[in-house]
Amino acid sequence: MDTIVTAGKLNNEEIFNLLKQFITEVIGEEFAEEMDISMESSFNKDLEMDSIEIVAFSEKIKAHFGDKIDFTGWLSDMDIDQLIALKLGMIVKFIETCQ
Amino acid sequence: MNLYFPLTDMYKFLFVVPPFFGHISPTLSVGASLLEKGHQVKWLGITSLADHHIPEGGEYIYPAEDLQPHLEELQQILRRQDDGPGCSAPEVMKIAFEETYVPMARIMMGGLSRTVDRWKPDLIINDCVTFAGALCAHMKGIPCVTTTPVPPEVMGNTAETAPKIFAWHEKLFRGLQEEFGLYHDQLLVHSKQMNMVFTSSEFAGVKNPEPHMRFVGPVKGRPNHTEFDWQRLEKARGPLVFVSLGTLLIDIRKDFFGKLIQAFADAPLTIVAATDPAIFEEWPDNFIVSGFVPQAALMPKMDAVICHGGFNTVNDTFLNGLPMLIIPITYDHFHTAKLIEDAGCGIKIRYKRLKIDDMRKAVFELLENSTYREASARIRETFIAAGGNDKAVELLEQCCAINNNIN
Repeated sequence: MDTIVTAGKLNNEEIFNLLKQFITEVIGEEFAEEMDISMESSFNKDLEMDSIEIVAFSEKIKAHFGDKIDFTGWLSDMDIDQLIALKLGMIVKFIETCQ
Repeated sequence: MNLYFPLTDMYKFLFVVPPFFGHISPTLSVGASLLEKGHQVKWLGITSLADHHIPEGGEYIYPAEDLQPHLEELQQILRRQDDGPGCSAPEVMKIAFEETYVPMARIMMGGLSRTVDRWKPDLIINDCVTFAGALCAHMKGIPCVTTTPVPPEVMGNTAETAPKIFAWHEKLFRGLQEEFGLYHDQLLVHSKQMNMVFTSSEFAGVKNPEPHMRFVGPVKGRPNHTEFDWQRLEKARGPLVFVSLGTLLIDIRKDFFGKLIQAFADAPLTIVAATDPAIFEEWPDNFIVSGFVPQAALMPKMDAVICHGGFNTVNDTFLNGLPMLIIPITYDHFHTAKLIEDAGCGIKIRYKRLKIDDMRKAVFELLENSTYREASARIRETFIAAGGNDKAVELLEQCCAINNNIN
Protein backbone atom coordinates (compact mmCIF):
# COMPACT_ATOMS: atom_id res chain seq x y z
CA MET A 1 0.00 0.00 0.00
CA ASP A 2 1.17 3.48 -0.81
CA THR A 3 1.04 5.79 2.18
CA ILE A 4 -0.25 9.31 2.08
CA VAL A 5 2.59 11.70 2.74
CA THR A 6 1.40 14.86 4.39
CA ALA A 7 4.68 16.35 5.46
CA GLY A 8 5.60 19.72 3.90
CA LYS A 9 4.83 21.07 0.45
CA LEU A 10 6.92 19.85 -2.46
CA ASN A 11 8.62 22.23 -4.83
CA ASN A 12 8.42 22.03 -8.61
CA GLU A 13 11.43 19.81 -9.02
CA GLU A 14 10.37 17.42 -6.29
CA ILE A 15 6.92 17.09 -7.85
CA PHE A 16 8.46 16.51 -11.28
CA ASN A 17 10.77 13.78 -9.95
CA LEU A 18 7.87 12.13 -8.19
CA LEU A 19 5.72 12.15 -11.34
CA LYS A 20 8.63 10.81 -13.36
CA GLN A 21 8.92 7.98 -10.85
CA PHE A 22 5.16 7.25 -11.15
CA ILE A 23 5.40 7.20 -14.95
CA THR A 24 8.36 4.83 -14.82
CA GLU A 25 6.44 2.51 -12.49
CA VAL A 26 3.40 2.58 -14.76
CA ILE A 27 4.99 2.09 -18.19
CA GLY A 28 8.03 0.08 -17.10
CA GLU A 29 11.66 1.10 -16.72
CA GLU A 30 12.69 -0.20 -20.13
CA PHE A 31 10.27 2.11 -21.93
CA ALA A 32 10.77 5.06 -19.59
CA GLU A 33 14.54 5.02 -20.14
CA GLU A 34 14.06 5.35 -23.88
CA MET A 35 12.11 8.54 -23.34
CA ASP A 36 13.69 11.78 -22.31
CA ILE A 37 11.02 12.65 -19.77
CA SER A 38 10.97 16.41 -19.12
CA MET A 39 8.61 19.22 -18.10
CA GLU A 40 8.01 19.69 -21.84
CA SER A 41 7.00 16.08 -22.47
CA SER A 42 3.54 15.92 -23.99
CA PHE A 43 1.47 13.70 -21.76
CA ASN A 44 -0.40 11.95 -24.56
CA LYS A 45 2.02 12.04 -27.45
CA ASP A 46 5.54 11.76 -26.01
CA LEU A 47 4.72 9.54 -23.06
CA GLU A 48 2.23 7.53 -25.16
CA MET A 49 0.14 6.63 -22.15
CA ASP A 50 -3.09 4.82 -22.91
CA SER A 51 -6.24 5.17 -20.85
CA ILE A 52 -5.39 2.26 -18.57
CA GLU A 53 -1.95 3.68 -17.87
CA ILE A 54 -3.44 7.12 -17.21
CA VAL A 55 -5.80 5.56 -14.66
CA ALA A 56 -2.86 3.84 -12.95
CA PHE A 57 -0.91 7.12 -12.95
CA SER A 58 -3.92 8.99 -11.49
CA GLU A 59 -4.25 6.42 -8.74
CA LYS A 60 -0.62 6.92 -7.77
CA ILE A 61 -1.15 10.67 -7.54
CA LYS A 62 -4.22 10.11 -5.40
CA ALA A 63 -2.44 7.60 -3.15
CA HIS A 64 0.40 10.05 -2.61
CA PHE A 65 -1.37 13.39 -2.25
CA GLY A 66 -4.80 12.29 -1.04
CA ASP A 67 -8.11 13.92 -1.90
CA LYS A 68 -6.83 17.49 -1.97
CA ILE A 69 -5.59 16.93 -5.51
CA ASP A 70 -8.39 15.94 -7.88
CA PHE A 71 -6.27 15.04 -10.91
CA THR A 72 -8.98 12.95 -12.62
CA GLY A 73 -11.55 15.72 -12.15
CA TRP A 74 -9.12 18.26 -13.56
CA LEU A 75 -8.44 16.06 -16.61
CA SER A 76 -12.10 15.29 -17.26
CA ASP A 77 -12.90 18.99 -17.49
CA MET A 78 -10.53 19.49 -20.43
CA ASP A 79 -11.63 19.84 -24.03
CA ILE A 80 -9.99 17.87 -26.79
CA ASP A 81 -7.39 20.51 -27.73
CA GLN A 82 -6.39 21.00 -24.10
CA LEU A 83 -5.89 17.24 -23.78
CA ILE A 84 -3.69 17.20 -26.89
CA ALA A 85 -1.62 20.14 -25.55
CA LEU A 86 -1.24 18.71 -22.04
CA LYS A 87 2.41 18.69 -20.90
CA LEU A 88 3.94 17.11 -17.84
CA GLY A 89 4.94 20.60 -16.61
CA MET A 90 1.29 21.61 -16.52
CA ILE A 91 0.50 18.69 -14.22
CA VAL A 92 3.41 19.71 -11.97
CA LYS A 93 2.02 23.23 -11.81
CA PHE A 94 -1.51 21.97 -11.10
CA ILE A 95 -0.26 19.87 -8.19
CA GLU A 96 1.87 22.73 -6.89
CA THR A 97 -1.12 25.08 -6.84
CA CYS A 98 -3.44 22.57 -5.15
CA GLN A 99 -1.23 21.27 -2.37
CA MET B 1 -44.86 -11.04 -59.26
CA ASN B 2 -43.62 -12.88 -56.25
CA LEU B 3 -44.60 -16.28 -57.57
CA TYR B 4 -41.69 -17.90 -55.82
CA PHE B 5 -41.92 -15.97 -52.58
CA PRO B 6 -45.64 -15.63 -52.01
CA LEU B 7 -45.42 -15.15 -48.23
CA THR B 8 -42.94 -12.29 -48.02
CA ASP B 9 -42.86 -8.90 -49.62
CA MET B 10 -39.70 -8.18 -51.55
CA TYR B 11 -37.76 -5.02 -50.74
CA LYS B 12 -34.90 -2.88 -51.99
CA PHE B 13 -32.00 -2.43 -49.55
CA LEU B 14 -29.23 0.12 -49.98
CA PHE B 15 -26.07 -0.27 -47.86
CA VAL B 16 -24.09 2.96 -47.53
CA VAL B 17 -20.49 2.04 -46.69
CA PRO B 18 -17.18 3.79 -45.86
CA PRO B 19 -13.90 3.07 -47.69
CA PHE B 20 -12.79 0.65 -44.94
CA PHE B 21 -13.10 -3.04 -45.73
CA GLY B 22 -13.57 -4.05 -42.10
CA HIS B 23 -16.78 -2.01 -42.05
CA ILE B 24 -17.95 -3.23 -45.48
CA SER B 25 -17.32 -6.92 -44.76
CA PRO B 26 -20.34 -7.69 -42.50
CA THR B 27 -22.68 -5.80 -44.86
CA LEU B 28 -21.54 -8.11 -47.69
CA SER B 29 -22.50 -11.13 -45.57
CA VAL B 30 -25.91 -9.73 -44.60
CA GLY B 31 -26.45 -8.57 -48.19
CA ALA B 32 -25.72 -12.08 -49.48
CA SER B 33 -28.43 -13.47 -47.18
CA LEU B 34 -30.95 -10.81 -48.29
CA LEU B 35 -30.22 -11.60 -51.96
CA GLU B 36 -30.72 -15.32 -51.30
CA LYS B 37 -34.21 -14.52 -50.02
CA GLY B 38 -35.02 -12.71 -53.27
CA HIS B 39 -34.60 -9.09 -52.13
CA GLN B 40 -32.76 -6.49 -54.19
CA VAL B 41 -29.52 -5.22 -52.65
CA LYS B 42 -27.11 -2.49 -53.66
CA TRP B 43 -24.11 -0.90 -51.98
CA LEU B 44 -22.86 2.64 -52.35
CA GLY B 45 -19.34 3.74 -51.46
CA ILE B 46 -16.79 6.44 -52.26
CA THR B 47 -13.95 4.18 -53.34
CA SER B 48 -14.25 1.38 -55.89
CA LEU B 49 -14.65 -2.21 -54.72
CA ALA B 50 -13.58 -5.25 -56.77
CA ASP B 51 -16.51 -7.20 -58.26
CA HIS B 52 -15.52 -10.48 -56.67
CA HIS B 53 -16.41 -9.09 -53.22
CA ILE B 54 -20.03 -8.42 -54.23
CA PRO B 55 -22.51 -11.25 -53.59
CA GLU B 56 -24.17 -12.62 -56.73
CA GLY B 57 -27.12 -10.54 -57.85
CA GLY B 58 -25.99 -7.48 -55.91
CA GLU B 59 -24.49 -4.28 -57.27
CA TYR B 60 -21.88 -1.87 -55.91
CA ILE B 61 -22.41 1.74 -56.93
CA TYR B 62 -19.40 4.03 -57.16
CA PRO B 63 -20.75 7.43 -58.21
CA ALA B 64 -17.65 8.39 -60.21
CA GLU B 65 -19.03 11.58 -61.71
CA ASP B 66 -20.16 13.03 -58.38
CA LEU B 67 -16.87 12.09 -56.73
CA GLN B 68 -14.64 13.60 -59.43
CA PRO B 69 -14.20 17.00 -57.70
CA HIS B 70 -13.34 15.30 -54.37
CA LEU B 71 -10.73 12.75 -55.42
CA GLU B 72 -7.76 14.61 -54.03
CA GLU B 73 -9.42 15.31 -50.68
CA LEU B 74 -10.48 11.68 -50.51
CA GLN B 75 -6.92 10.46 -51.08
CA GLN B 76 -5.74 12.74 -48.27
CA ILE B 77 -8.37 11.30 -45.93
CA LEU B 78 -7.34 7.74 -46.75
CA ARG B 79 -3.63 8.51 -46.26
CA ARG B 80 -4.37 10.20 -42.94
CA GLN B 81 -5.62 6.88 -41.50
CA ASP B 82 -2.04 5.63 -41.40
CA ASP B 83 -1.13 8.40 -38.92
CA GLY B 84 -3.22 6.77 -36.19
CA PRO B 85 -0.42 4.67 -34.66
CA GLY B 86 1.77 7.76 -34.12
CA CYS B 87 -0.99 9.79 -32.48
CA SER B 88 -2.30 10.09 -28.94
CA ALA B 89 -5.85 9.09 -28.04
CA PRO B 90 -7.34 12.62 -28.26
CA GLU B 91 -5.56 13.24 -31.57
CA VAL B 92 -6.95 9.98 -32.94
CA MET B 93 -10.44 11.14 -31.98
CA LYS B 94 -9.90 14.31 -33.95
CA ILE B 95 -8.59 12.39 -36.98
CA ALA B 96 -11.58 10.05 -36.87
CA PHE B 97 -14.39 12.54 -36.41
CA GLU B 98 -13.17 15.90 -37.72
CA GLU B 99 -10.84 14.72 -40.48
CA THR B 100 -12.54 11.52 -41.63
CA TYR B 101 -16.21 10.86 -40.86
CA VAL B 102 -17.56 14.40 -41.25
CA PRO B 103 -15.74 15.25 -44.53
CA MET B 104 -16.62 11.78 -45.87
CA ALA B 105 -20.30 12.58 -45.33
CA ARG B 106 -19.93 15.81 -47.33
CA ILE B 107 -18.10 14.02 -50.16
CA MET B 108 -20.69 11.26 -50.29
CA MET B 109 -23.95 13.19 -50.13
CA GLY B 110 -24.27 14.27 -53.78
CA GLY B 111 -23.86 10.86 -55.39
CA LEU B 112 -25.84 9.15 -52.65
CA SER B 113 -28.75 11.55 -52.95
CA ARG B 114 -28.98 11.06 -56.73
CA THR B 115 -28.76 7.26 -56.37
CA VAL B 116 -31.55 7.24 -53.79
CA ASP B 117 -33.79 9.40 -56.01
CA ARG B 118 -33.19 7.10 -58.96
CA TRP B 119 -33.42 3.68 -57.29
CA LYS B 120 -35.85 4.50 -54.44
CA PRO B 121 -34.71 1.94 -51.83
CA ASP B 122 -37.18 0.79 -49.17
CA LEU B 123 -34.49 0.89 -46.50
CA ILE B 124 -31.16 2.68 -46.22
CA ILE B 125 -28.59 0.88 -44.09
CA ASN B 126 -25.72 3.18 -43.11
CA ASP B 127 -22.53 2.06 -41.48
CA CYS B 128 -21.89 3.79 -38.14
CA VAL B 129 -19.13 6.03 -39.54
CA THR B 130 -20.98 6.75 -42.80
CA PHE B 131 -23.16 9.60 -41.57
CA ALA B 132 -24.38 10.60 -45.06
CA GLY B 133 -26.59 7.48 -45.21
CA ALA B 134 -28.67 8.34 -42.15
CA LEU B 135 -28.83 12.07 -43.00
CA CYS B 136 -29.95 11.34 -46.57
CA ALA B 137 -32.58 8.87 -45.33
CA HIS B 138 -33.94 11.54 -43.00
CA MET B 139 -34.08 14.14 -45.78
CA LYS B 140 -35.91 11.79 -48.16
CA GLY B 141 -38.25 10.24 -45.58
CA ILE B 142 -36.86 6.73 -46.07
CA PRO B 143 -36.47 4.46 -43.03
CA CYS B 144 -32.90 3.81 -41.93
CA VAL B 145 -30.97 1.21 -39.96
CA THR B 146 -27.38 1.75 -38.79
CA THR B 147 -24.85 -1.10 -38.75
CA THR B 148 -22.03 -1.16 -36.19
CA PRO B 149 -19.25 -3.69 -36.81
CA VAL B 150 -17.40 -2.96 -33.54
CA PRO B 151 -18.58 -3.06 -29.93
CA PRO B 152 -20.35 0.25 -29.25
CA GLU B 153 -19.64 2.60 -26.33
CA VAL B 154 -15.96 2.80 -27.23
CA MET B 155 -15.58 6.08 -25.40
CA GLY B 156 -17.82 5.19 -22.47
CA ASN B 157 -20.29 7.66 -21.06
CA THR B 158 -18.56 10.89 -22.07
CA ALA B 159 -21.57 12.99 -21.02
CA GLU B 160 -20.54 12.22 -17.43
CA THR B 161 -16.82 11.50 -17.59
CA ALA B 162 -15.70 14.11 -20.13
CA PRO B 163 -18.44 16.70 -20.67
CA LYS B 164 -16.34 18.83 -23.01
CA ILE B 165 -15.56 15.87 -25.28
CA PHE B 166 -19.28 15.08 -25.33
CA ALA B 167 -20.08 18.68 -26.26
CA TRP B 168 -17.46 18.64 -29.02
CA HIS B 169 -19.12 15.55 -30.53
CA GLU B 170 -22.58 17.09 -30.35
CA LYS B 171 -21.41 20.29 -31.98
CA LEU B 172 -19.65 18.43 -34.78
CA PHE B 173 -22.66 16.22 -35.61
CA ARG B 174 -25.15 19.08 -35.30
CA GLY B 175 -22.99 21.31 -37.49
CA LEU B 176 -22.94 18.63 -40.18
CA GLN B 177 -26.67 18.05 -40.23
CA GLU B 178 -27.36 21.78 -40.28
CA GLU B 179 -25.10 22.09 -43.34
CA PHE B 180 -27.71 19.94 -45.07
CA GLY B 181 -30.57 22.05 -43.72
CA LEU B 182 -31.57 19.58 -41.02
CA TYR B 183 -32.49 21.61 -37.93
CA HIS B 184 -33.57 18.98 -35.46
CA ASP B 185 -33.51 18.41 -31.69
CA GLN B 186 -31.94 14.99 -32.11
CA LEU B 187 -28.67 13.97 -33.69
CA LEU B 188 -29.47 12.30 -36.99
CA VAL B 189 -26.15 10.72 -38.03
CA HIS B 190 -27.25 7.33 -36.67
CA SER B 191 -30.61 5.60 -36.92
CA LYS B 192 -32.88 5.90 -33.89
CA GLN B 193 -35.05 3.10 -35.26
CA MET B 194 -32.40 0.40 -35.17
CA ASN B 195 -28.66 0.04 -34.68
CA MET B 196 -27.54 -3.45 -35.65
CA VAL B 197 -24.35 -4.51 -33.88
CA PHE B 198 -22.29 -7.48 -35.10
CA THR B 199 -21.26 -8.84 -31.73
CA SER B 200 -23.08 -10.07 -28.62
CA SER B 201 -24.15 -7.71 -25.83
CA GLU B 202 -22.35 -10.06 -23.41
CA PHE B 203 -19.01 -9.67 -25.18
CA ALA B 204 -19.53 -5.94 -25.70
CA GLY B 205 -20.13 -5.58 -21.95
CA VAL B 206 -23.40 -3.71 -22.56
CA LYS B 207 -25.69 -4.62 -19.66
CA ASN B 208 -28.95 -2.85 -20.50
CA PRO B 209 -28.88 -1.90 -24.17
CA GLU B 210 -31.29 0.77 -25.38
CA PRO B 211 -34.19 -0.93 -27.22
CA HIS B 212 -32.99 0.15 -30.68
CA MET B 213 -29.55 -1.44 -30.16
CA ARG B 214 -29.84 -4.96 -31.60
CA PHE B 215 -26.89 -7.31 -31.08
CA VAL B 216 -27.06 -9.98 -33.80
CA GLY B 217 -23.56 -11.42 -33.34
CA PRO B 218 -21.06 -12.12 -36.15
CA VAL B 219 -22.42 -12.65 -39.65
CA LYS B 220 -20.76 -14.71 -42.37
CA GLY B 221 -21.13 -15.81 -45.96
CA ARG B 222 -19.59 -12.95 -47.95
CA PRO B 223 -17.93 -14.19 -51.15
CA ASN B 224 -14.27 -15.05 -50.62
CA HIS B 225 -12.68 -17.01 -53.44
CA THR B 226 -9.10 -16.35 -52.33
CA GLU B 227 -6.79 -19.25 -53.07
CA PHE B 228 -4.56 -20.76 -50.44
CA ASP B 229 -1.76 -23.32 -50.26
CA TRP B 230 -3.74 -25.88 -48.26
CA GLN B 231 -1.18 -28.62 -48.91
CA ARG B 232 1.55 -26.63 -47.26
CA LEU B 233 -0.74 -26.04 -44.30
CA GLU B 234 -1.37 -29.78 -43.94
CA LYS B 235 2.37 -30.41 -43.73
CA ALA B 236 2.92 -27.59 -41.21
CA ARG B 237 4.37 -28.59 -37.87
CA GLY B 238 3.21 -27.77 -34.38
CA PRO B 239 0.30 -25.57 -33.37
CA LEU B 240 -0.98 -23.14 -36.04
CA VAL B 241 -1.10 -19.45 -35.12
CA PHE B 242 -2.98 -17.08 -37.41
CA VAL B 243 -1.72 -13.49 -37.60
CA SER B 244 -3.54 -10.54 -39.15
CA LEU B 245 -3.18 -6.77 -39.04
CA GLY B 246 -6.27 -6.13 -41.12
CA THR B 247 -6.37 -3.89 -44.16
CA LEU B 248 -5.31 -0.52 -42.68
CA LEU B 249 -2.06 0.48 -40.93
CA ILE B 250 0.20 -0.08 -43.93
CA ASP B 251 3.16 1.86 -42.52
CA ILE B 252 3.83 -0.28 -39.47
CA ARG B 253 3.58 -3.70 -41.12
CA LYS B 254 7.30 -4.11 -41.53
CA ASP B 255 8.02 -3.25 -37.91
CA PHE B 256 5.27 -5.52 -36.60
CA PHE B 257 6.15 -8.55 -38.70
CA GLY B 258 9.85 -8.00 -37.99
CA LYS B 259 9.08 -8.42 -34.29
CA LEU B 260 6.97 -11.47 -35.07
CA ILE B 261 9.91 -13.07 -36.89
CA GLN B 262 12.23 -12.34 -33.97
CA ALA B 263 9.78 -14.00 -31.61
CA PHE B 264 8.82 -17.08 -33.60
CA ALA B 265 11.44 -17.95 -36.23
CA ASP B 266 12.34 -21.59 -35.46
CA ALA B 267 9.81 -21.83 -32.62
CA PRO B 268 7.90 -25.16 -32.46
CA LEU B 269 4.81 -23.74 -34.15
CA THR B 270 3.69 -22.47 -37.55
CA ILE B 271 2.69 -18.88 -38.21
CA VAL B 272 0.01 -18.31 -40.85
CA ALA B 273 0.22 -14.60 -41.66
CA ALA B 274 -2.06 -12.47 -43.80
CA THR B 275 0.19 -9.72 -45.14
CA ASP B 276 2.01 -8.83 -48.34
CA PRO B 277 5.03 -11.21 -48.42
CA ALA B 278 7.04 -8.57 -50.34
CA ILE B 279 7.79 -6.59 -47.15
CA PHE B 280 10.70 -9.00 -46.52
CA GLU B 281 12.96 -10.80 -48.97
CA GLU B 282 12.91 -13.95 -46.91
CA TRP B 283 10.60 -15.44 -44.31
CA PRO B 284 11.48 -18.19 -41.80
CA ASP B 285 10.50 -21.74 -42.86
CA ASN B 286 7.75 -21.95 -40.26
CA PHE B 287 5.96 -18.86 -41.66
CA ILE B 288 3.20 -19.26 -44.30
CA VAL B 289 2.59 -15.77 -45.66
CA SER B 290 0.07 -14.57 -48.24
CA GLY B 291 -1.32 -11.15 -49.05
CA PHE B 292 -4.92 -12.33 -49.01
CA VAL B 293 -6.31 -15.41 -47.30
CA PRO B 294 -9.70 -17.15 -47.13
CA GLN B 295 -9.90 -16.19 -43.45
CA ALA B 296 -13.26 -17.78 -42.58
CA ALA B 297 -12.16 -21.11 -44.10
CA LEU B 298 -8.73 -20.99 -42.46
CA MET B 299 -9.81 -20.11 -38.95
CA PRO B 300 -11.32 -23.50 -37.94
CA LYS B 301 -7.90 -25.08 -38.55
CA MET B 302 -6.00 -22.65 -36.29
CA ASP B 303 -5.00 -23.05 -32.62
CA ALA B 304 -4.55 -19.38 -31.66
CA VAL B 305 -4.72 -15.92 -33.20
CA ILE B 306 -2.54 -12.80 -32.97
CA CYS B 307 -4.13 -9.56 -34.13
CA HIS B 308 -4.39 -5.84 -33.41
CA GLY B 309 -8.10 -5.91 -32.69
CA GLY B 310 -9.69 -5.57 -36.12
CA PHE B 311 -13.20 -6.61 -35.50
CA ASN B 312 -13.78 -9.16 -38.24
CA THR B 313 -10.75 -11.12 -37.07
CA VAL B 314 -11.95 -10.83 -33.47
CA ASN B 315 -15.34 -12.25 -34.52
CA ASP B 316 -13.82 -15.10 -36.56
CA THR B 317 -11.53 -15.99 -33.66
CA PHE B 318 -14.17 -16.34 -30.97
CA LEU B 319 -16.72 -17.87 -33.34
CA ASN B 320 -14.17 -20.68 -33.58
CA GLY B 321 -13.51 -20.81 -29.84
CA LEU B 322 -9.84 -19.80 -30.20
CA PRO B 323 -7.68 -17.81 -27.75
CA MET B 324 -6.17 -14.49 -28.88
CA LEU B 325 -3.09 -12.40 -28.27
CA ILE B 326 -4.37 -8.90 -28.95
CA ILE B 327 -1.80 -6.21 -29.65
CA PRO B 328 -3.77 -2.95 -29.73
CA ILE B 329 -2.20 -0.21 -31.82
CA THR B 330 -4.64 2.68 -32.18
CA TYR B 331 -8.30 3.68 -32.77
CA ASP B 332 -10.79 1.38 -31.03
CA HIS B 333 -8.30 -1.47 -30.56
CA PHE B 334 -7.80 -0.63 -26.87
CA HIS B 335 -11.49 -0.92 -26.13
CA THR B 336 -11.66 -4.31 -27.88
CA ALA B 337 -8.55 -5.45 -26.00
CA LYS B 338 -10.18 -4.59 -22.68
CA LEU B 339 -13.30 -6.59 -23.60
CA ILE B 340 -11.12 -9.60 -24.45
CA GLU B 341 -9.27 -9.35 -21.14
CA ASP B 342 -12.58 -8.97 -19.29
CA ALA B 343 -13.93 -12.10 -21.00
CA GLY B 344 -10.73 -14.03 -20.22
CA CYS B 345 -10.38 -15.31 -23.79
CA GLY B 346 -7.07 -13.66 -24.55
CA ILE B 347 -3.99 -11.71 -23.48
CA LYS B 348 -3.30 -8.07 -24.28
CA ILE B 349 0.09 -6.50 -24.96
CA ARG B 350 0.01 -2.94 -26.17
CA TYR B 351 2.02 -2.44 -29.37
CA LYS B 352 3.97 0.49 -27.96
CA ARG B 353 5.02 -1.67 -24.99
CA LEU B 354 5.66 -4.85 -26.95
CA LYS B 355 8.72 -6.89 -26.00
CA ILE B 356 9.69 -9.90 -28.09
CA ASP B 357 10.02 -12.15 -25.08
CA ASP B 358 6.58 -11.18 -23.72
CA MET B 359 5.01 -11.92 -27.10
CA ARG B 360 6.55 -15.39 -27.19
CA LYS B 361 5.52 -16.16 -23.60
CA ALA B 362 1.97 -14.95 -24.21
CA VAL B 363 1.46 -17.17 -27.26
CA PHE B 364 2.70 -20.30 -25.48
CA GLU B 365 0.55 -19.44 -22.46
CA LEU B 366 -2.49 -19.23 -24.77
CA LEU B 367 -1.64 -22.57 -26.38
CA GLU B 368 -0.91 -24.42 -23.14
CA ASN B 369 -3.39 -23.00 -20.64
CA SER B 370 -6.91 -24.17 -21.54
CA THR B 371 -8.74 -21.46 -19.55
CA TYR B 372 -8.43 -19.01 -22.46
CA ARG B 373 -9.92 -21.54 -24.84
CA GLU B 374 -12.76 -22.26 -22.41
CA ALA B 375 -13.54 -18.55 -22.08
CA SER B 376 -13.49 -18.24 -25.85
CA ALA B 377 -16.00 -21.11 -26.13
CA ARG B 378 -18.32 -19.20 -23.77
CA ILE B 379 -18.13 -16.12 -26.02
CA ARG B 380 -18.83 -18.39 -28.99
CA GLU B 381 -22.11 -19.48 -27.34
CA THR B 382 -23.24 -15.86 -26.93
CA PHE B 383 -22.31 -15.12 -30.56
CA ILE B 384 -24.38 -18.05 -31.86
CA ALA B 385 -27.32 -17.25 -29.57
CA ALA B 386 -27.40 -13.69 -30.96
CA GLY B 387 -28.76 -15.09 -34.22
CA GLY B 388 -26.27 -14.02 -36.92
CA ASN B 389 -27.40 -13.69 -40.54
CA ASP B 390 -30.94 -15.06 -39.99
CA LYS B 391 -31.63 -12.59 -37.21
CA ALA B 392 -30.16 -9.69 -39.22
CA VAL B 393 -32.38 -10.50 -42.23
CA GLU B 394 -35.46 -10.88 -40.03
CA LEU B 395 -34.88 -7.50 -38.37
CA LEU B 396 -34.25 -5.68 -41.66
CA GLU B 397 -37.39 -7.17 -43.24
CA GLN B 398 -39.37 -6.09 -40.17
CA CYS B 399 -38.14 -2.51 -40.56
CA CYS B 400 -39.41 -2.43 -44.15
CA ALA B 401 -42.73 -4.06 -43.26
CA ILE B 402 -43.43 -1.66 -40.39
CA ASN B 403 -42.73 1.31 -42.61
CA ASN B 404 -44.93 -0.07 -45.43
CA ASN B 405 -47.84 -0.39 -43.01
CA ILE B 406 -47.37 3.18 -41.83
CA ASN B 407 -47.42 4.43 -45.40
